[in-house]
Amino acid sequence: MTGQGTPEVAGELREILARATGREELLGLSEQAPLFGDGVGLDSLTGTLLLREVHRRFGVDVAAEDLNLDSLATLGTLATYITEHAPAGPVSGG
Amino acid sequence: MMVKCVIWDLDNTLLSGVYLEAGAQPPPPDPAMVQAAATLRDRGIIHAVASRNPPEAADYAARVTGLEFAAAECGWGPKSDAVRRITAGLGLSPDAIAFVDDDLYERAEVSLAVPEALVLSPEDMTDAVGWPEFSPAVVTAEARRRNEMYAERRRREQEARAFAGSRDEFLRYCGTRVTIARATESDVPRLHELSVRTHQFNTGGEPVAEPELRRLAGSAECQVTTVRLADRFGDDGLVGGCVTRAGQDGTWTVTLLMMSCRAMGRGVIEALLAWLAGSAARAGATALAVPCLVTPRNVPLRLALTSAGFRAGPGGPPGPGPVVFSRPLSGPLPEVPGWVTAPPGPEAAAR
Repeated sequence: MTGQGTPEVAGELREILARATGREELLGLSEQAPLFGDGVGLDSLTGTLLLREVHRRFGVDVAAEDLNLDSLATLGTLATYITEHAPAGPVSGG
Repeated sequence: MMVKCVIWDLDNTLLSGVYLEAGAQPPPPDPAMVQAAATLRDRGIIHAVASRNPPEAADYAARVTGLEFAAAECGWGPKSDAVRRITAGLGLSPDAIAFVDDDLYERAEVSLAVPEALVLSPEDMTDAVGWPEFSPAVVTAEARRRNEMYAERRRREQEARAFAGSRDEFLRYCGTRVTIARATESDVPRLHELSVRTHQFNTGGEPVAEPELRRLAGSAECQVTTVRLADRFGDDGLVGGCVTRAGQDGTWTVTLLMMSCRAMGRGVIEALLAWLAGSAARAGATALAVPCLVTPRNVPLRLALTSAGFRAGPGGPPGPGPVVFSRPLSGPLPEVPGWVTAPPGPEAAAR
């Protein structure tokens, strides 16, 4: 199995974010863009959708491992967190 | 666990017959099931449909039963998928769901795939109306309007999907109004109900009895605050509340924070946290603390806290027991959106 690198994960996260928010322009989001506030404007609803999808696709339960959810600072920090915490085996896609 | 939503099959369950086999005249409603559903509706339990039928079957059932459905999934996929989609779409947890179907196979399939849900036959249902799972202790004005409010929510979400623009722009377009005020005696039953029913936005995890809420509301040591929500689609009434205490050390502590999941995605929890931070800062506080029992279900609350600049110690995986999220009140504070009406000065909130 070839593990996904951070750029691939970031690419998938852009798709998830674009779908959760209904904002297609997020497909071009920079890795430095903040997910809360002025960047993506993630709120409790879109944030929950994002975390659910991350758990399903990458097998990483961010909420259970990161009390402060600091991994959600930017697109890049979340992609790195997922890459570092993803289980070794392949996660069934879907 | 209290049931918040009943998901109904149509053929030989809510309808007395099979919709597609009935020819020109679809089957009439089943009087016993309609009576049970109406009783539950008046207790604030909402209804939805999962049926192997074309979508018009749900519209037909709504017309002939006089019920409003918060969601309808009509199609030929597994019933458990329909149940899951309805549950997620309504922002409910699977253990707040009852599923009623006359078909033994469908009931088994849902029981296996969604083990948290209460799965019943139509015969069970007539009896179940008397079960504690279906019998909330108090029925508030919000509860009686709950079915209508979910129907309004369906219309709001249809418009949201068609709306080109950001979420903030949509909230403005909807004429969203958040009203923050000091709790009065008449708010106590609804605040109690929120303490029982809310899980995704609840810091305490324990129901708070009415006498205790009454005592807190009348106490000089703390303030009980209410949050109401309305927009052009409808009035959601009292959707949230909190209890705050001003400490001697310059820290304001929110000892209880709770919000209906109906308010999720509508900027309400964000507005309340911003207002709390602003009020505390104006009253001279230097920090705002929110003790919170972290559970797998209150992740939405943690997202709102993180977004509003709250942190709990060094981070890492959450341990057992309550955690204190806090933020300093120096530097830039989260902005209270323009659609919030609230008492402006510290005198309304402090003391």
